[in-house]
Amino acid sequence: MKRGIKLLSLLIFLAASSQAMGGDLESRVQAMEETLKRQQKTIEEQQKIIEELKDQIKTQIAAEKPKTAVATTEPETQKPRGTTGLFGGSALSNPNISLVFNAYAYSSNLTNDELKNRAIRGYTMDGIDRKNGFNLDSAELAIYAPVDPYFNLYATIPVTEDGTTVEEAYFVTTSLPTGNQIKAGKFKSGFGRLNSQHSHVWDFVDNPLPYRAFIGFGDEGIDEKGVQYTYLPPLPIYTILGVEVLQGENKTLFGADATGGPHAYTGFIKASLDVSDHATILFGPSVITGKTKTSTVQANSDFTGDTTLYGFEFTYKWKPSKVQGFKIQSEYLYRSQYGDLTDTVLGTVQRLERYQDGFYIQSVYLWNRWEFGARYDMLSIFKDDYTLGGAKQDIGRRPWRATAMIDYAFSEFSLLRLQYNHDESDIYGKVNHEVFLQALFSIGAHPAHQF
Amino acid sequence: MFIVISTPAYAKLNVCTTLPWIGSLAAELGKDKVNIKVLVKPSQDPHFIEAKPSMILAARDADILMYNGLDLEIGYLPLLFESSRNPRIQPGQLGNFDCSRFVNVIEKQPTADRSMGDVHPLGNPHYHYSPSNILRVAHGMTQELSNIDPGNSSFYRTNLAAFEERLRNKQIQWAKKSLKGKNFIAYHKYFEYMANELGFKLIDYVEPKPGIPPSAGHIEKLIETVKKTKGDGILVTPSYGKEEAEALSKKTGIRVIIIPQDVGSVPGTNDWFSFMDNVLSSLQ
Repeated sequence: MKRGIKLLSLLIFLAASSQAMGGDLESRVQAMEETLKRQQKTIEEQQKIIEELKDQIKTQIAAEKPKTAVATTEPETQKPRGTTGLFGGSALSNPNISLVFNAYAYSSNLTNDELKNRAIRGYTMDGIDRKNGFNLDSAELAIYAPVDPYFNLYATIPVTEDGTTVEEAYFVTTSLPTGNQIKAGKFKSGFGRLNSQHSHVWDFVDNPLPYRAFIGFGDEGIDEKGVQYTYLPPLPIYTILGVEVLQGENKTLFGADATGGPHAYTGFIKASLDVSDHATILFGPSVITGKTKTSTVQANSDFTGDTTLYGFEFTYKWKPSKVQGFKIQSEYLYRSQYGDLTDTVLGTVQRLERYQDGFYIQSVYLWNRWEFGARYDMLSIFKDDYTLGGAKQDIGRRPWRATAMIDYAFSEFSLLRLQYNHDESDIYGKVNHEVFLQALFSIGAHPAHQF
Repeated sequence: MFIVISTPAYAKLNVCTTLPWIGSLAAELGKDKVNIKVLVKPSQDPHFIEAKPSMILAARDADILMYNGLDLEIGYLPLLFESSRNPRIQPGQLGNFDCSRFVNVIEKQPTADRSMGDVHPLGNPHYHYSPSNILRVAHGMTQELSNIDPGNSSFYRTNLAAFEERLRNKQIQWAKKSLKGKNFIAYHKYFEYMANELGFKLIDYVEPKPGIPPSAGHIEKLIETVKKTKGDGILVTPSYGKEEAEALSKKTGIRVIIIPQDVGSVPGTNDWFSFMDNVLSSLQ
């Protein structure tokens, strides 16, 4: 209480002496009030400690008395503790750390060389970077904690056989005015649905064809250095508005050395509403645009130009209980790309224009610890214009793929998944029959899952 | 970065709570001075809640977010704090109210690991069945409401006094229910606070470990135990383990007692008092 009196006299002093300070005074008083409130809180907590100590003494005295009846579990009186912190427990000396193990056995009717050279003609020359037999995707380390009252810090460090990379390392603001948030560092772009998720929360082992064709083969997706700003307006419906400025180094979209500085820009809107107590939909458009310099358009050629990718996502999720659920998810992607294609052998330059699209739709049904899933991917849905030097390129029939999946979760932290892909994405090549058996395990800090 | 919380006299305080019982308690203390939004439906089991965008939106406008704590909400609450983009409810702020801070927590297991199932290392989180702890939380909540909304401080205190008196009378009434010496089997570690306070015993659990569904072998063993000890009932909540408990009941002849997991989970439990009335008469 002494503190309170001191503060009060300080307040009176301030009020008397600083009339000249005018408007500043008000904010000072408010600051004082705030401090006062905090101290009240501290006093409250101290009182509670005293009360608890009293209780402890009482229970000790009670324990010394001879027990008459068969006691139930004695209530252990706990030592007082502070708030649980953002992620539970004390995260002062150590940040929260988790490790996700992601490995799979793979079998295809194609040889490893055939897989490596398996392009989606007209879309990408990138092959399938998997080997028959055992594959270790990664042991992914995630570290996160609040930095101070203003920022949270995250790092995702997948350890693979090739070494350690920094998939993500970014901070997020927590104290900007209501509705505003800034994220900066290296992070997964908010573009699209699968892109912003880590691959170990996907419902299938691999990403769908439109992702492979437009964003790239691997799990990383649009994972860039840059800054993101998001705003959650006070609307009756959840709506996130986001923009990003990114370095623009995605290999498929832009290439590592497209320009000397940040040149990729994204914008996205995600809206969501609950259609019933247990069902929710999430939907919205995304766009990313930037300069491109790659060699994955055709063999022996370099491409320089501009690329814009548009996306639209839709998710419906019904989850009445822990043991039952149903989900439908779909994304449509449209790529617009134009520029110069240089033949690296002949040195000739041709004008290239590509307007192409693709989509996937996937569904998962949850029953007890089992999940049953199906997915269908297709490219060249509405648009398939590919011109080179003014001449329309024929890329033949539509590349497509169909997938069936079944998985079993022993607990929230372990999962085995069996998946079959019937892949007709290489229109002149063979059909690729792929089977995956995936193991996903996680240890350490409890993750909080995004919707 | 300095945020000043000021509530104009005419504006109601926006209170957002995770679980229904917290909303019920806030309504007892705040009455018409607060707007209450409850994130979890009474029909949902509090262990298996997933974050929904609508929850993020509700948390955005909260002046205070009240939660159970002890890691019960760990699957979605950290996400809500950050994604709400609401500086008032961040950990360490006045608008971040962890009810468990005021509770005498039992069954702390600091050395627990996940081979022991879904244990809560910080302690058993189901203290809302414990009248003495609810009273402690009510005191803490009143203080917090007064801190955020000093203008209505005396209003909150008056409501607390009324709540406390009602609770003390109820406690006398509840103490008359003869539960001492009763032996129950529970599906999940839900009822330990109540057992301690009201003097009944929990002799076994249908779950072999918290959060781990029983195997056929475990059920067989349990049937033996149950037949030997002749329990007074199998305690289960409407949305967690009911089927398994009913199967066990068929094989042993011991009745299943359905206990609501929260305020509003079964008809006629619209506030915390009627919820506890229902719980205690079910146990009779």
